[in-house]
Amino acid sequence: MRMPSSTSTALDWTASAVFRFLLAASILFLILPVLVSVVLSFDDRQFLGPFPPKQFSLRWYRSFLDNPAYLDGLIVSLKLAVLSTVISTVAGACAAYVISSGRWRGRDTVETLFLSPKFVPTVVIGFSILGFASAIQVFDPFTRLIMGHVVITIPFTVRATLASLVGIRRSLVEAAISLGAPPWRAFLDVTLPLARTGIVAGALMAFVLSFDEVAVSLFLSDAFTQTLPIALVAEMRANLNLTVAAVSTVFAAVTILIVFFLDRAIGLDRVIGQGLYRG
Amino acid sequence: MRQPRLSAFQCALLAPGAILLAVLLVAPIALMAVESFRPFVGGRVGAGAGWTLRNYTELIEPAYAFYFYDTFRIGFIVSAIALLLATPLAWQAARTKRRAVRVSIFGLLIGLLFMSLVARLYAIQMTWGTNGPLAFFGTLIGVPARSAGYAAIQVAIGLLHFVVPMSAIILIGTFQNISPRLEEAAASLGAPRWRVALTVTLPLAAPGLLSAFMIAFAMCISNFVVPLILGRGVVLFTTNLMYVRFSDVANFPSGAAIGVIMFALAGLVIYFMTQLVRWVSPEAQS
Repeated sequence: MRMPSSTSTALDWTASAVFRFLLAASILFLILPVLVSVVLSFDDRQFLGPFPPKQFSLRWYRSFLDNPAYLDGLIVSLKLAVLSTVISTVAGACAAYVISSGRWRGRDTVETLFLSPKFVPTVVIGFSILGFASAIQVFDPFTRLIMGHVVITIPFTVRATLASLVGIRRSLVEAAISLGAPPWRAFLDVTLPLARTGIVAGALMAFVLSFDEVAVSLFLSDAFTQTLPIALVAEMRANLNLTVAAVSTVFAAVTILIVFFLDRAIGLDRVIGQGLYRG
Repeated sequence: MRQPRLSAFQCALLAPGAILLAVLLVAPIALMAVESFRPFVGGRVGAGAGWTLRNYTELIEPAYAFYFYDTFRIGFIVSAIALLLATPLAWQAARTKRRAVRVSIFGLLIGLLFMSLVARLYAIQMTWGTNGPLAFFGTLIGVPARSAGYAAIQVAIGLLHFVVPMSAIILIGTFQNISPRLEEAAASLGAPRWRVALTVTLPLAAPGLLSAFMIAFAMCISNFVVPLILGRGVVLFTTNLMYVRFSDVANFPSGAAIGVIMFALAGLVIYFMTQLVRWVSPEAQS
């Protein structure tokens, strides 16, 4: 065995130092802003002062609860997210089941169609649906919002379900059918329970995506039906106060709960494997 | 080889989604493409009668072409830096023997994917903005936080926060698929670690790195909300331009033309991505 030369050792040392530095930088880069905004949300000052705050209070949380624009937005966002998640999860999971069931004529085209909204910029989706809705005389903002949010969430429910169906052995379904179960029965009793994790992961992703969407909602909402993100963006652009920091902190807390739930229910390794963001 | 047709039951399952997408995606985009060839009539909603190419030709003028250039330039730089930051994260998560480390990184990445981007962008403004504790970074690189040029830096930071977790998750898959045995074999034959990384790992990871880069790039150039919140009105992406054309001037045909171009560009990026990955690793096609 050849002994490594001293230049090699030096290079090795440098490489591992660079690696550690980048790793630390990237973790800090991702976490630090969230921490700063959490701390600022408890700031007692009335204005936006330099970091860190000296005194703490819950005034920004109260000001969030006192502002009807936020609460109305929250209600619209929740209704919108629940409805579009249900629609896109049912339609997406059913389609994914058919797409994954062997090779059939036109399968690739159909799969591309179902995954394609992911690659269409969301402004294009919002803009085109706005034009289309007025062409077919749909002027109700909530209906338009549902139309847009279903489109942007479908690829995620399809992909997550597809990923979980890959692991299911076809022999199980064939066994059920050979024992006399009609196809719909095999689908309900065998495939659906086995694909559950993927469907849940996809639905969760769809919900979060819809709840946080800005571009599509900006085109399709009007002055009276605003989602929470739209209200927040308007507030951020108008005046910088810390109410939004309070909302962000609540979002961060909910996110941590979601991650814990996912780890318990599915396992984080498998969530990564559900291909939520693979192209 | 003949491929079987779908049964009635399968067609019924496929129908809801297919109809939804035909009505809510294909039809609206087709209508938008038609509208983009209509002339703009000021003072009214919708397009005029007749046909024109003017909505496209005006985009070639330098004033508009600049938005496209800016979008692509920032998107390219951000995707490259994202790769640099995501690789160590993904490598550590894929190769660590300690479960706690792996689960923490997974939790961080998934948490960021699920956390509201609007909230994260606000947090970035608080942290990197004029009053923020990290504002000195601007002075450090010669673009003080109070200067107009800093808007582009802020937009880049916001986009990075958006694409780094996604790139890392893609790369975790890439690294998990490379057998550690190959690296061990090279090391046992006497190759130092930097050489193993350069001659064994890197070529094997190249397709994954490339597709992570392309996905990050596609995500950046189609982003709307990051320049909207962090761009201070100075940095506008083509997406924002499209919204302005529609909301401020109510020029629907011009917005439609920008939309058609962005749609085509997104398609091109995806096409190049698949071609490039195929070219780098011909055996990875199956």
